[in-house]
Amino acid sequence: MNILKGTVWKASGLKEKWNHNSILGITDTETVKLDFDNTPLKTVKYWASRTCRWFKLGGFIVLKSSENHYHVVFDSRVSWSENVSIMAWVCLLFYGKILAKLPLLRYFIMQCIKQSSTLRVSPKKDKLCPRVVFCNGKQEKQIHEFLSFRKLIKDIIRKMLKEKCLFD
Amino acid sequence: MSKKIAVYGSYEAKFPAKQRFWKKRKDGIRQRYWKKTKRTKKAVESGRYEFHGKGRELYKAVIKAHRYMPKGFVDVSAEKFLEHPERYGLEGEWIEREVES
Repeated sequence: MNILKGTVWKASGLKEKWNHNSILGITDTETVKLDFDNTPLKTVKYWASRTCRWFKLGGFIVLKSSENHYHVVFDSRVSWSENVSIMAWVCLLFYGKILAKLPLLRYFIMQCIKQSSTLRVSPKKDKLCPRVVFCNGKQEKQIHEFLSFRKLIKDIIRKMLKEKCLFD
Repeated sequence: MSKKIAVYGSYEAKFPAKQRFWKKRKDGIRQRYWKKTKRTKKAVESGRYEFHGKGRELYKAVIKAHRYMPKGFVDVSAEKFLEHPERYGLEGEWIEREVES
């Protein structure tokens, strides 16, 4: 993976087609994670860096989930109430007055109900695994933990793809 | 809080069918009750497992989760799930459907 001035130019990941209908993801309460659907990378980077500066979250990574669909993971460890307030802050500023039927709002409400936030790791239908497309700031705390846990899940996915004959 | 693996989506499974029946109460009101039958019916539900534990156990639990569908929202350690998967889920299969994280 080459990282130059924040932008990751080349990323390697799982390329095999996922033939299971279930989805694997990472869930926890102390990492701030956001799911931007139908949002261009430029807007995602703007909101990620604005949130990162405002809440002093250290740094962030942007993962591309599919075309115009991105995930953001922040570096600082926070409590669940702080996590919810950060997600709510982004949500409110992002949408202003138009709040109904919007994907980030839907994501936020779901995470509030579950009391933990989840991001997808496995492929989903015709979408690939989310991959890192942008890095900014510090990466040694929650981002490091997130990426190492993501590696564990990817290993499980790889094993499952190898042993897919078990399910056929 | 440690990180967990979430296995989620929609699934089709056979649920035990319930049959309704009425009984006349002492005060004269007809009360509706439900009883379990041996019949089962196929239904589509959505559910979610959240597993925590060590790498190898997590892998085994994820594999098992492809056979046993979660009964709602199941937060369990991979070790406990592997001991009694039938306690936390019922047999079925995951289906392709749009779900929220």
